[in-house]
Amino acid sequence: MIDPRIYEMFREIGEDLYSAQMISSHGGNLSIRLGDRVIIKRRGAQLGRLKPHDLIETRLDKNDSGVALASTELLVHRTVYMNTPALAICHCHPRTAVAFSLSRDELVPIDNEASYLLKKIPVVTEEFASGTPQMANKVAEALKNYKIIMLRGHGSFATGQTLDEAFHWSSTLEESCQIELATKVINEPFIEYRGMSGSYTKF
Amino acid sequence: MPTVKLYANLRKLAGTKELSITGPTLGAVVNVLVRQNPALDGVVLENGQIRPHVVITVNGHNAVDLDASVTEQDVIAIFPPIAGG
Amino acid sequence: MNGWNGKILEIDLTTQSHKSYPLDMEMARQFIGGRGLGTRLLWDMVGPEVDPLSPENVLIFTNGPLTGTGYQTSNRFSVTTKSPLTGTVLDANSGGFWGMQFKRTGYDVMIVRGKAEKPVWIEIKNGDVTFHDASELWGMRVFALTEKLGQDNNKRNVLCIGPAGENLSRMAAIMNDRERAAARGGPGAVMGSKNLKAIVVEGRERPVIEDKERFKFMLYETRKLLAASPLTSQALPEFGTVVLMNIMNNIGALATRNHQQTQFEGAEAISGEELTEKYLVKNAACWACPIGCTRISKTEKVEGEGPEFESTWAFGAQCGIDDLPAIIEANMLCNDLGLDTISVGSTIACAMELSEKGFMDSDLRFGRADQLAPVIEAIAARKDIGSDLADGSLRLATKYNHPELSMSAKGMEMPAYDPRGLQGQGLLYATSNRGGCHMRGNMVGLEVLGLPKLIDRFQVQGKSSFVILNQNSNAAIDSLVVCKFTNMGVADEYFARVLSAVTGIQYATTDMIKVGERVWNLERLYNNREGFTAKDDTLPPRLLTEAPVDGPSKGWVSNLEPMLKEYYRTRGWDENGVPTQKKLIELGLAELV
Repeated sequence: MIDPRIYEMFREIGEDLYSAQMISSHGGNLSIRLGDRVIIKRRGAQLGRLKPHDLIETRLDKNDSGVALASTELLVHRTVYMNTPALAICHCHPRTAVAFSLSRDELVPIDNEASYLLKKIPVVTEEFASGTPQMANKVAEALKNYKIIMLRGHGSFATGQTLDEAFHWSSTLEESCQIELATKVINEPFIEYRGMSGSYTKF
Repeated sequence: MPTVKLYANLRKLAGTKELSITGPTLGAVVNVLVRQNPALDGVVLENGQIRPHVVITVNGHNAVDLDASVTEQDVIAIFPPIAGG
Repeated sequence: MNGWNGKILEIDLTTQSHKSYPLDMEMARQFIGGRGLGTRLLWDMVGPEVDPLSPENVLIFTNGPLTGTGYQTSNRFSVTTKSPLTGTVLDANSGGFWGMQFKRTGYDVMIVRGKAEKPVWIEIKNGDVTFHDASELWGMRVFALTEKLGQDNNKRNVLCIGPAGENLSRMAAIMNDRERAAARGGPGAVMGSKNLKAIVVEGRERPVIEDKERFKFMLYETRKLLAASPLTSQALPEFGTVVLMNIMNNIGALATRNHQQTQFEGAEAISGEELTEKYLVKNAACWACPIGCTRISKTEKVEGEGPEFESTWAFGAQCGIDDLPAIIEANMLCNDLGLDTISVGSTIACAMELSEKGFMDSDLRFGRADQLAPVIEAIAARKDIGSDLADGSLRLATKYNHPELSMSAKGMEMPAYDPRGLQGQGLLYATSNRGGCHMRGNMVGLEVLGLPKLIDRFQVQGKSSFVILNQNSNAAIDSLVVCKFTNMGVADEYFARVLSAVTGIQYATTDMIKVGERVWNLERLYNNREGFTAKDDTLPPRLLTEAPVDGPSKGWVSNLEPMLKEYYRTRGWDENGVPTQKKLIELGLAELV
């Protein structure tokens, strides 16, 4: 039985992800680490409409009951937990960020909030499908030094101590990309307002 | 009426340590507080939400939901961002 | 590799000689500096056969690669030794100016061994070491001695012990720059046992930074972050750490009268608000610190630094005292005598409870502000009632057959946060490698203040992973060495980047946290080698069985058992709390055991 407070946290953030259009009806994923256990969304469940039975609890290091129902991305989440200090993961498909990831090797924010919070978001490429060990290793490796990363053409993986924190980085990234997209529409010369922003790519 | 207690620099901003404010929910009480004490706007609330790192407790329990109902006997404590150790 | 000076200074007090040799840079890479490096060196030097107060114990002073670089709060140093209070590995660290100046002498580490025949003090000017006779200084208090030896903040810095250290109080602190303290666990007694009164440093060496451009970038970003955070730019400078008094009381987690209650009716009278309004003269800051949390306070009798939250709590709520001037004076008296305020306050509270219950024959009573100063004087002098109290609450309560009334973990007095109201904090105290302490990790941010985000303070499942991350991160920060308060505005990833910029070694954020985990596990191995077992990972029975009868934590005891089991598993330890071979291999510690 999963603690109702934990379910509530998943439900709220799942709903927010969907209403912010950061996932499709069945896309994205959330998980948290509790000691040596992981709680993750059930395979096929909709993040925007989570029910208590949509959450699966399993061991971090190996399978036990219920794992057959867990999301196909369980391996990625486990690999991240075993290789970083993350205690929560938010994986979503923020549209504008995904679009930018198709032409860039890193996303460097121009708005204040993301400049302040993220500095730089690396984009990694992985041809193998979601849930494969290759992809899991690549994502975990990138998250060793960045709290949020983009998988090219796919979506973002963000880590934090809580789901709230991981969601915070995710929505900050998408907001930043939307702002940049808007500046492309406005198409006027950029006025730099930040100090040392030239160094962001070195973050 | 629920009692609202203020701490740290909120006391200076509101000119008091303690007030009584009527309202059905925590959010309603906090909104009235800010309306009556405009100096608290942007300090306690930001865009209608509790500002990050502001801590509000109801009877000593951290409140996260502004929609939670409050009663006559409740003591609401509001702390600006604080830290220490 | 830059950042480090690459040199160790070893001083033998018995022969009054010294030598210098290179720092093992592979060891430096793995343990960084400060607490980590100190622990690694102590592992090789001081085994279970050594009595903490014998000449065979050592004092290891360390700085880190960031120390003295000018990075925000890069002023701190660490002292590592075997604790005379707890018998565990001990690292105590302190701010001010001395750490920065020590780095400028050209050394990363100073190991002090042996025992001088007569009292001495040591002067280190750049690379040169001079031994001076301290016979006439013996007995002097800290403030007067610091001045006499020529304290000059940016040029010449004094570290010393007061009478408490000379008299081997197991609560004695090492003081530096007059009022900063490496206080907990009794390092001052180790210094006293060596007949070493003071170490004065003067230096001209400046640390070399590998990637100056990236360092400048991190310096700039850190400045921006600390200025943007309401915690580091407003809360700490304006109200100091004592601002926590009201909130801890409000949530029912302010230990009161030796943890008999969790709320103190006099909290408001000893709060940060009260201190600021009536007694604050100005604030002050350590070297290279833009935060400035230090209070300069004034009463009718004294003016000086402090008090911090923990000190105010220890002499205040814990002793049932709501007289703030008396608390300010007690705090300054401890600084002048060289005593740890948390342990002293809680030991007095323990004596008060023993006396009130008739287990001990003394007139000490809760609430008696007038008793503070005389008892503190007696502790430092180890005379009268002070001879009973000088070695801490556990030895005191054991002597009077009620060890359960010592509010300590592994023999170190716990700070203000009552674990019955903060479940994670209880797990922290129980597992802390130096005993009941809030600096090996602190859950107040997560469980009360919502830093970075709020988690439920009564929740038990999953708490271990937060506690472990906190402990590992703090062990890393203690090894850099910077002040933990910067961590309220600046995330770990910035520390990893500035460490990489300074040293030229690329530490990913995860690598830096891994250093913290390595340090934590080595400390654990050290304690296990000293004979500590899972049985010692516990809290006073009061916290495990007596629930508060009122207040917001009503009905709660510390639910330690399930948290501890989960903690061991999550740490990769066996059920007896011993790191598994697999974990030791992962951390590169396997060859040590």
